[in-house]
Amino acid sequence: MDLLTTSEQAEIVDSSAAFLADRISIARTRELFEGGDLPAIADDAWLGAADLGWFALGLPEDRNGIGCGLADEVLLFREIGRRLAPGPFLSTVLGARVASFGGDPELADEITAGRRVGLVIPASLDAIGADGSVTGDVQLIDADLDGLVLAVTPGVASLIAVSSLDAVTEVPCVDPTVRLHRAVGTGAAPTVSLASDVDPIELRGHVLAAALLAGIVEWSRDTGAEHAINRVQFDRPIGVNQAIKHPCADMAVQAQLAYSQSLFGALAIDEGRPDAEFQALSAHITAAAAADFATAATLQIMGGMGFTHEHDVHLYVKRMELLSHMLGAPAAWLERLLELPEPV
Amino acid sequence: MDLQFSAADVAFRDEVRTWLTDNVPTGRRPKLGRPMRDYDLAWQRKLYEAGWGNVAWPIEYGGRDLPLIQQLVWFEEYARTGMRPIDTRFVGLAHAGPTLMARASQEQKTFHLPKILQGEVVWCQGFSEPEAGSDLASLRTKAVVDGDQLVVTGQKIWTSYADSADYQELLVRTNLDVVKHKGITWVICDMKSPGIDIRPIRTIEGGADFSEVFYDEVRVPLSNVVGGIDNGWSVAMSTLAFERGTAFTISQVQLAASVEELIELARSKRSIDGKPVIEDDSIAQRLARARADCAALRALTYLGISKNANSDQPGPEGSMMKLHYADLAKRVYRLGVEILGPRSLAIPADEDDTDWVDKHLIAYSTSIGGGTSEIQRNIIGERVLGLPR
Repeated sequence: MDLLTTSEQAEIVDSSAAFLADRISIARTRELFEGGDLPAIADDAWLGAADLGWFALGLPEDRNGIGCGLADEVLLFREIGRRLAPGPFLSTVLGARVASFGGDPELADEITAGRRVGLVIPASLDAIGADGSVTGDVQLIDADLDGLVLAVTPGVASLIAVSSLDAVTEVPCVDPTVRLHRAVGTGAAPTVSLASDVDPIELRGHVLAAALLAGIVEWSRDTGAEHAINRVQFDRPIGVNQAIKHPCADMAVQAQLAYSQSLFGALAIDEGRPDAEFQALSAHITAAAAADFATAATLQIMGGMGFTHEHDVHLYVKRMELLSHMLGAPAAWLERLLELPEPV
Repeated sequence: MDLQFSAADVAFRDEVRTWLTDNVPTGRRPKLGRPMRDYDLAWQRKLYEAGWGNVAWPIEYGGRDLPLIQQLVWFEEYARTGMRPIDTRFVGLAHAGPTLMARASQEQKTFHLPKILQGEVVWCQGFSEPEAGSDLASLRTKAVVDGDQLVVTGQKIWTSYADSADYQELLVRTNLDVVKHKGITWVICDMKSPGIDIRPIRTIEGGADFSEVFYDEVRVPLSNVVGGIDNGWSVAMSTLAFERGTAFTISQVQLAASVEELIELARSKRSIDGKPVIEDDSIAQRLARARADCAALRALTYLGISKNANSDQPGPEGSMMKLHYADLAKRVYRLGVEILGPRSLAIPADEDDTDWVDKHLIAYSTSIGGGTSEIQRNIIGERVLGLPR
């Protein structure tokens, strides 16, 4: 048992952080979405991430992947979350897996080379059938009209051609970095699908969403603490006040909880533990609650600045909302978690 | 990075589980006085004789000095027996003992440490005072040197198991002319000394583990001073370096087990509307959330132990675990009362009552004892995040 990062893992963290800072800065993201360019990530930056192997990181080497574990992907996704990188990273990484394990290796190679995969958010869970087909009202996150979207349930994951959906209409998203569509599923057969007993795509999604949220909690903690140290009122830094200091401390605790449970969930899947579902759901539940608390706490600590468009905190609040409403909903995760056997 | 235990650690777990299953006391632990002390010390003697006197103590003092991972395994298995995380053995084994190892003279160590490990004595703590709670360094109980003795006069409070104890780790003020941290001395006080008056404090759930201790010119030999006169603050702080987060595992595992029991309880009990309590969405959601929270607390414990296994200094996870545990324990045991509903008014609540009301009431102490949650937040804010004092 060891949850410390290895030197190879530290390398993943450092190189991804450097790439994000250089190529996917929040300043650049703002320019893009304010110019109406959605999802708000430049094509060259997206392809740069593909060149770094981000979409193939967790694929086995014999599937043209890099052969790292889900825990390594957690470390990458924590950085993506911390730096608010836009773009469908989660559904693209999972989409490559669905294509590869679902029997379409050429498609998998296309995706890992940078073909974006969007995400289906169904209006109700039964909109996605046992065969992975989609029927009825859905929303699409970061879909390309000539591209593919990932549909996920606890039992199946599939890739669907956006062209097979009806009434695809772009609408503004609460997360301004996201391209959002409304659409209606026709029940058309998916391009490729994969049962969860072959590879637990949904559980991997929960863990990666948790990692993104853990990054958001860490950004909130660091941003709130920095302001508490530097902002002076009544001739003293506001951080001397326990009404400021204590939520900062709570954010530090929540950050460690979200991060450590994300790792636990990832390793439970990597190691094929019988409680993998328990741990993965716990990761998403824990990280979503932590990010809800931490973004609100930091917004409050920032005072009036926290309420402005100019400060970045609102972007994190909105990203947190997005990540807390994908792959089902908190109430549904809790219901499932209660029915599972005790963890090992 | 992995969650797996090595083959050696798995074999160790089997050994521990088998031994504990065969040897853990079967009778209910008496709640008070001599019978409670005898029960705890008999258990310690049994542990000692089988080589389990203490898994963390160095070998030179008779401990096992196990690697942190095996300490974790030991405490996980110990927790599963349902034995309490803290009893009359706690201060000797986890607090005074390690302090003596770090700072006592060879003579003091040779006299006291074997007695603690072999289950011959109970130690208690004399730190807090009515006017020195979170601000421990403002303590006033004074000690004046008279020949080869210290003469102690004053009052301590919140001393657990004072009436069962043979010895006390006692902080006294020996110098009023220096800043408050500098004038404190750490002494070994014989609890049978003349001039000591112990008054039990009845607590919220009806127990009386705590006492006030009054000292009226109590004579303590200077040879009982540990670490030198006026050095007591640094002696007291040296204990902290010993705590590596493994013993906390017992509380964490037992809280998770309580959540599982509460889920069963909610399935078996009916609400006032006649439906199984588990069908109440609010209760069900909070039980599920408690499951996730316990999972994350365990992950945090594992992360802390992973760090401490590779570092000489314990990380801030200790304060984080304590803080989160307190919040979670209060929420979990409150659920016990809600699941029981109006039944919780009667004592005992039910024919198959497992003290859920007691546990709920006792849980209020988790955010007060051993450093309040407010103090833990100050520590995390200042030492981890670098916020100003």
